Amino acid sequence: MKKYCFILLTICLTLLFSGCSAPSGGASESAASPISHFEPLGTVSENNKNIYVILKVMDSSYWQVIMEGCKAAGEDLSCNVYCGGTNNETDWQGQRVLIEEALAAKPDAILLSPDDSVELSSDIDRIHELGIPVALIDTAANTESFDICYMTDNLYAGQNAAKEMLGRLRDAGYSDYDDISVGIMVGTAKSQTINERLAGFYQYWSNNAPGKWSIISDIMNCNGNIDEGDALLNDFLAKHPEVVGLYATNNGPTRVLARVVKGAGRKDITVVGFDLSDEIDDLVKDPDYRASTILQRQYDMGYLAVGSVLDIMQGITPPVRFIDTGVVTVNEENMSSPEVREVIDMN
Amino acid sequence: MANTDHKRFKDDINLLKSGRSFYLTLIICLVVFFGATGLLITAFNRLITRHDEQLSAEISTIMAEKMNSSIKFMTESVNSTAVLLSSRNFDNPEQIYDILKNNTNADYLSAGFIDQSGKKYASDEEAKEFAKWDLMQTAALANPVSISAPYRSSVYGQPVITLFAVLRYADTRHGYMFTTYKLNELQKIAVTESLDNDVEIWLMNAESSNIIQCAGSDEHSIGSWANAYLSMQDINADDIPVYSDWLTRIRHLEDNIGISYSVGDTMYSQHCSRIESMPGWYVVVRIPGNALSATMHTFRNYVLYFLAVLLTVVIVLIANMYRLSKRDNEILEALSTHDPLTGVLNRRAFDIAAAKWIARGKDCALIFFDLDYFKQVNDKYGHNIGDGFLTKFSDVLKKNFSENGIISRFGGDEFVVLTDMSGTDEVSALIKKTADDLWSFSLPEADKEGREFSISFSSGAARFPYDADDLSLLKKRADTALYEVKERGRNGYLWYMDLSGPQERQ
Repeated sequence: MKKYCFILLTICLTLLFSGCSAPSGGASESAASPISHFEPLGTVSENNKNIYVILKVMDSSYWQVIMEGCKAAGEDLSCNVYCGGTNNETDWQGQRVLIEEALAAKPDAILLSPDDSVELSSDIDRIHELGIPVALIDTAANTESFDICYMTDNLYAGQNAAKEMLGRLRDAGYSDYDDISVGIMVGTAKSQTINERLAGFYQYWSNNAPGKWSIISDIMNCNGNIDEGDALLNDFLAKHPEVVGLYATNNGPTRVLARVVKGAGRKDITVVGFDLSDEIDDLVKDPDYRASTILQRQYDMGYLAVGSVLDIMQGITPPVRFIDTGVVTVNEENMSSPEVREVIDMN
Repeated sequence: MANTDHKRFKDDINLLKSGRSFYLTLIICLVVFFGATGLLITAFNRLITRHDEQLSAEISTIMAEKMNSSIKFMTESVNSTAVLLSSRNFDNPEQIYDILKNNTNADYLSAGFIDQSGKKYASDEEAKEFAKWDLMQTAALANPVSISAPYRSSVYGQPVITLFAVLRYADTRHGYMFTTYKLNELQKIAVTESLDNDVEIWLMNAESSNIIQCAGSDEHSIGSWANAYLSMQDINADDIPVYSDWLTRIRHLEDNIGISYSVGDTMYSQHCSRIESMPGWYVVVRIPGNALSATMHTFRNYVLYFLAVLLTVVIVLIANMYRLSKRDNEILEALSTHDPLTGVLNRRAFDIAAAKWIARGKDCALIFFDLDYFKQVNDKYGHNIGDGFLTKFSDVLKKNFSENGIISRFGGDEFVVLTDMSGTDEVSALIKKTADDLWSFSLPEADKEGREFSISFSSGAARFPYDADDLSLLKKRADTALYEVKERGRNGYLWYMDLSGPQERQ
């Protein structure tokens, strides 16, 4: 009996103490995956400057286009370009490892597409303090310690998407007096790029859409999972049959929108998304559907960033630090034009 | 032997006892203690939560007002410059631009002028920003000042805001002076020494629910865009309707609205205040409740640790005291319930124990034993020898009856046994064995002096419930049987049921 009493006492004391513990916060999550270490792009010459490029997703076609831009610049401007990167666009810790590797190699400049705009800001500060020119490509960081940034202004790109959506809805015959609504799907809530495209879309919409045209506040988030996105969108469409437009902030959700809309034969829904996947390409080309996609000029980001850091090494200060490489809106009407065709081919 | 006696004492005492044990009482006390402690913690936590909610709501309100006042100060400062320049009534806008451009004391990134025709006196890059972000639309709202939505400056690569103020020139003409500030200038305004690691401040557009952070614990988060409807998905499900209602009220341009909600385990107080010079925009301040009560939580935890240590000490003390007290009680109880010479129950204790024993309803037998001619033994050999006999006799009784019965010294040389019985033969056999055992033992003191003893006993037995169905009568029946044995010459035993006639059975 005595033994049981003390066991009971121990349990009670344990419960008492466990009730005192305070909740603890955690750092932002990083999805660790194998990183791709630096490899030279093209031939290497001892007399050339060495530029290290750190990208987000090495096996993605989008990032390979950036790589091609860097490679071409290296050949055109006679510098050695080494490229490494992560294979998951949230693996900022993997990029931190690559930054250390690059610094150990005594680079003349570093080009970085940060997997996390906040977490890697301190690393960018450190590179800058070492006097090494830093160019950001595709994604900005929340620091001023970079020399130049080539990227799409995602707030502005989001505004363009909203402008396209409004235009296509008017093309579909909707007037200011029609009660219509659109839905939004994002790939993740944690990406600054996605948040800016979302904010830009909302901003343009709230300033320019007719009062009766609304955005459904229940924003879908597929969390990077395409299959989850399918189910989410099907549920959303069942719940909101009045939806006449769908906007996706990045590649994954755009694929979801394109395949679900096409699969369900919803020709009444206008789709606006980002990047050029097979699914959205197929939908844009189909004259029975109204679809548009926003393409970035990622080749230019890589090419121009290499040129800029070479200039900086020679003491030439760029007139601006942030260069919006711009976007091209692709739809059925303009996709055959040479200018758009060129961007499509680059993607 | 001592252990056996101790166990028997305990068994006897347990037979006499009734009611709760110490352990049950201890468990009840512990349950009460932990229940009370739980209530104390709950009450304390509620108090902290209420304190957090009230205080953080007040602080976020004050912070929002401070931010709003500071933005107002910024706009008034720009307006003052515009008024001052207006008073000089310049003929040529270039003169105005030169003054603004060359003002080295200013804390803005850049400044310029837009004349009445819409011509921009600014750098080429800045002029491009006007087209890209539709800044002329904001300039037109200046009355006398307006502020643009935050945008990323190409020149500086950082989020900025541009302020416009009406400026008059050339007698009747009017244009707009503009100044561009980094968004983190607002952080400098918002910073507070005591809470700068906890307070988050955003600008929020009522119509789009877009938010942009302009102050927070992580300086790298400043300038991050988000949308409140997407951010809302992080909020605990129970609080989403309240948050959604808060957003709706802002869309309806209500002012000074506060809200409390939780994200995971963290409770936040959030307050918004409309920015007069930035139509449709609010300053939103958020404070985690626990930022204010970390000290209170630490204090609460110290109290709990103290209680836990105190409880442990008290329990150890009580357990020790109980152990000592129990030992003393056992001694006292043994003295009060047992015959000090023989260690068997005394008469009073026997009556209590026997009443419980027969209350079980099982068949049993009550036997009176009386040592024959014991008084002569005492008189002849002294009390020491007599006491030795009594002790040895009680030992024999214990040996034969203690397993299934209780034994008592009723007085002098008289003992009584109450034992379970499956039949009278079985009990009779035990009585005979007792007689044999009594004959076979030797008394060391007697042997030393070379004396011989022959002592016997008489006994009378009665059955429960056949001869009597209550203890008093049962004892009387057994005593009657004993009496008859004595009448017949002692040294024998007799069952009450074997008495010959009604007279003997009285």
